[in-house]
Amino acid sequence: MKCESCNKRHATVHLTEISGNEKRERHLCEECAQNINNPLVKMPTPADILSSLINQVAPEIGEMAKTTCPACGLSYLEFRSKGRLGCPMDYTAFKKGLTPLLEKMHGASQHVGKVPSRAGKELIVKNEVLQLRRELDKAVEKEDYEKAAKLRDRIFELSTNNEEKKDEGTVQQDR
Amino acid sequence: MRELYSKTGEWLKGTGPESDIVISTRIRLARNLANFPFLNRGSEEQRKEIEKLIREKLKEAALTKDLHYIKLSEVSPVDRLFLMERRLISREHAGGDGERGVAFGRSETVSVMVNEEDHLRIQVIRSGFELREAWKIIDEIDNTLEEKLYYAFSPRFGYLTACPTNVGTGMRASVMMHLPALGLTHHIEKVFNAVGKLGLVVRGIYGEGTQAIGDLYQISNQFTLGKSETEIIEIVESVVPRIAGYERMARKALMTENREQLEDRVWRSYGMLKVARMLSSEETMQLLSQVRMGVNLGLINDISMETLNELFILTLPAHLQKQEGKELEANERNVIRAAYVRKRLGEFQ
Ligand SMILES: [Zn+2]
Ligand SMILES: [Zn+2]
Repeated sequence: MKCESCNKRHATVHLTEISGNEKRERHLCEECAQNINNPLVKMPTPADILSSLINQVAPEIGEMAKTTCPACGLSYLEFRSKGRLGCPMDYTAFKKGLTPLLEKMHGASQHVGKVPSRAGKELIVKNEVLQLRRELDKAVEKEDYEKAAKLRDRIFELSTNNEEKKDEGTVQQDR
Repeated sequence: MRELYSKTGEWLKGTGPESDIVISTRIRLARNLANFPFLNRGSEEQRKEIEKLIREKLKEAALTKDLHYIKLSEVSPVDRLFLMERRLISREHAGGDGERGVAFGRSETVSVMVNEEDHLRIQVIRSGFELREAWKIIDEIDNTLEEKLYYAFSPRFGYLTACPTNVGTGMRASVMMHLPALGLTHHIEKVFNAVGKLGLVVRGIYGEGTQAIGDLYQISNQFTLGKSETEIIEIVESVVPRIAGYERMARKALMTENREQLEDRVWRSYGMLKVARMLSSEETMQLLSQVRMGVNLGLINDISMETLNELFILTLPAHLQKQEGKELEANERNVIRAAYVRKRLGEFQ
């Protein structure tokens, strides 16, 4: 008997699977049988998680259904079926549909990490402040007041500097 | 490329913190250019244009100008498989089509994939458990490239990627661990479940959907948005030593409760590698895995960790074919693989 999974090697492992009232016989080769028991094969990949999430989150589908990205022409429905975006603009064009999806997927929809320097000093500082605030919350939670005080000072320092920088920026632009 | 065939990358040295269990640390960043569609939506022309642009900028940027660049459309399938076995490119990149490439350094610590799923996938691999070191290197490379290329970035969603699972930091931090005892004691699934609750995922050594061969697993972050790079690294950094500790506990338990069986298993594996006349790639990995654990536990003393780590890679199909200088059928490979392993381990007299 040939293995029913790969159809190449000889079936040497014979399994009976019972699900509900159904009984199913499986005839597999050593290798394919091992894959069944391999816990990794059962682990969903991020792509699997994505497609199941896309189906779970159906916000304003009526409204979003007509949305198409003006830059690349991808429609929201196409994105939903393929799970891939067409161009950077899609994040703006599909914001309404994407935000709840990202919330489910990452547990957040606001970036707090690295900022390219081209995006401007202001944003870099804003993100750093955002991050420091989170660290401050954590420090307070852990009752590490010494660290909390340091973080608070740093946040204050950054916020005031940023205000000054903003002014410099406008002055330079006026010139 | 020829000089790659008989040596291995820096990350296989078998050094670095926790290197008995942690083989290597890898960080990758996904980046896209602002003025082009993502690759799945771009035309052949745009694809070529992106490849050319990035290739030229890689040659200009301070930290990437000395990297060696290979156009994947111009090399054979075996060469692409070779680069994948080497972990310089992903499985998708090896198998894909259209204009695409990879740039990598002499020590194979740094590699940049061009036109994979995203326009750029920068990666840094280090031997052992070295997340911070890897982040420092990749952050700097990213900075120098950013001076030359206009990245797609939004203050709200961060670095924009073709798949929303990568958006935000675009960062995947992963650690490759060797966990034979957790496998033997059937605790590995528990680890997977626990790790999943912490926002981490477990994969086989060649990425998504690949099998765990040789008890090698990659632990990496699942979320890329809403956490900073440092926070992501902190999570992975806090979990990996716990898994390593769990593996050590399982090894200890095997040593005290089932010492004879364990020793038997380790020595049989070692013996098999020294006498076998035909070895498949999977069997080799499985046997090497047992021997590696035996060396870690001090049961075997006459073989270096570096040799063992190297054998994991040098016995893979494309590596063997490259060493032999010709394409080989699976059966021929199995004979040559067994001969090569015997030579490296010292034949049974
Ligand atoms: Zn089969
Ligand atoms: Zn678009």
